[in-house]
Amino acid sequence: MLRVEGLHAGYGASEVLQGVTLEVGAGQLVALIGANGAGKTTTMRAISGLLKPARGRVILDGREVQGLEAFQIARLGLAHSPEGRKVFGPLSVEDNLLLGAFRRLPAFFGYRRHAAAGLERVYGLFPKLKDRRTQAAGTLSGGEQQMLAIGRALMADPKVILLDEPSMGLAPIIVQEVFATIRRLKEAGTTLLLVEQFASSALAVADRAYVMERGRILREKSTDDLRHDEGLLQAYLG
Amino acid sequence: MTAAVLAQVVVSGALMGLVYALVAYGFQLTYATSKSINFGQGELVMVSAFVSLSLVNAGLPYGLVLPAGMLFGALLGLFVERAGVRLALEQKSEGWILMTIILGLFFLSAAENVWGRDDRPFPTPISSDPIHLLGVDITPLEISVAVGVFAVMGLVELFKRVTLLGKAFEAVSADRDAAELMGISARRAIMLSYGLSGMVAALAGILVSPITTVGPTMSSTLILKAFSVAVVAGLDSGFGVVVVGILLGALEAVTSLTVGSGWREAPGLVLLILALAVRPTGVFGKATIRKV
Repeated sequence: MLRVEGLHAGYGASEVLQGVTLEVGAGQLVALIGANGAGKTTTMRAISGLLKPARGRVILDGREVQGLEAFQIARLGLAHSPEGRKVFGPLSVEDNLLLGAFRRLPAFFGYRRHAAAGLERVYGLFPKLKDRRTQAAGTLSGGEQQMLAIGRALMADPKVILLDEPSMGLAPIIVQEVFATIRRLKEAGTTLLLVEQFASSALAVADRAYVMERGRILREKSTDDLRHDEGLLQAYLG
Repeated sequence: MTAAVLAQVVVSGALMGLVYALVAYGFQLTYATSKSINFGQGELVMVSAFVSLSLVNAGLPYGLVLPAGMLFGALLGLFVERAGVRLALEQKSEGWILMTIILGLFFLSAAENVWGRDDRPFPTPISSDPIHLLGVDITPLEISVAVGVFAVMGLVELFKRVTLLGKAFEAVSADRDAAELMGISARRAIMLSYGLSGMVAALAGILVSPITTVGPTMSSTLILKAFSVAVVAGLDSGFGVVVVGILLGALEAVTSLTVGSGWREAPGLVLLILALAVRPTGVFGKATIRKV
């Protein structure tokens, strides 16, 4: 569903990604793990078009999308829930969700009716968001904002979701909740690429995992192999 | 001075204040998507008014001059965005401040060269024979100003609050990158807001010109007051600019009557300084919520 081939990207003169190659099959949950500064977030940004790749290819559902604007890639069915959640603080929870579905809704009127089924699904997944739907997103707790960010990505009814550090800055008990959600999404057949610092939690839910180091994919393994690779766990995952 | 005279002056001043409000509203529109404003907004008002005047003189009926002038204003707004703002915003720089000032000066020189430096009357089919209404004299021309201001602001506010595209505007303002990830083109949203802002500026010019005449100096007078209104009201409340605009217009007229016409500009500046000192987010502005 999503294939990345030899991706090079960076900021200014510094090249952060030096040939990243990875693949996420339909319905798979693939984890991207590695130490701080390995280039995980940069990989996400280069896939979704927030950062223009210098070289390499990004293929979304059989179509090359590298070089397109971020909003165009989003419209082709890629949902990127960015690091730090980035909910629209002044807007209400429901407006955030509606904007998540922007690509498939009418721009002027009648969008609420078109979005009803999607809203119901997200509220079913996160009942707390329903309780707070008229509240400004900026006033939610960190955990709730993360739920909103995931819900917003789901609203697009995307082909692939990129989830960047969903556990960042959250209390351990909330992190568990977030991973329970990710597990449910996987069971529902969602295609996901997950970046995580908490490698052990990520490996527990993922089908496969890539380990990144200094802008390259170090190795690709099944999660079982990785979990039993003591040396690797020590070195990269803490 | 009788109460009747005072009431008369307050009403005329308040109507003038609505024009300040409309120009200030043009600031708000672009600020809402891009956190940038066109410092040459006054020149947009003036050039659009001159173009509309030329259209009137060319024999175009008023009913067509109005939409044509507004269309011209919108195109001029788009030009400002393309030439002065886009590059600066994409590089996250503040260069748009200087660029919009420069474009404004450019429009001013161009207007002086094309239309001359004199103030000229702006003929209109709307009557300026006063009607006696609740003890004050008010002209249909003045009423048309109020109707025009409320109609266009009402429509634009409706667009911003009710439509999904309007909400997308706010999303672009809150977080440009995140908005792009939703499939919203931040560039197009910003372009649209500059187009709308230019349209609103043109409408202000067409509405006010028959009352004040058209001239190259109208831009600096209007911009200063509109700026005061925008700062005092805050840059995110359409309702706020109307209230503050009316207040300022009335206050100016009363000052001019009681203290002397030389003091006409004083209330706006005093309000501006007071607002900046006491409440920099504006009376109707909301402090941004930031939670990390």
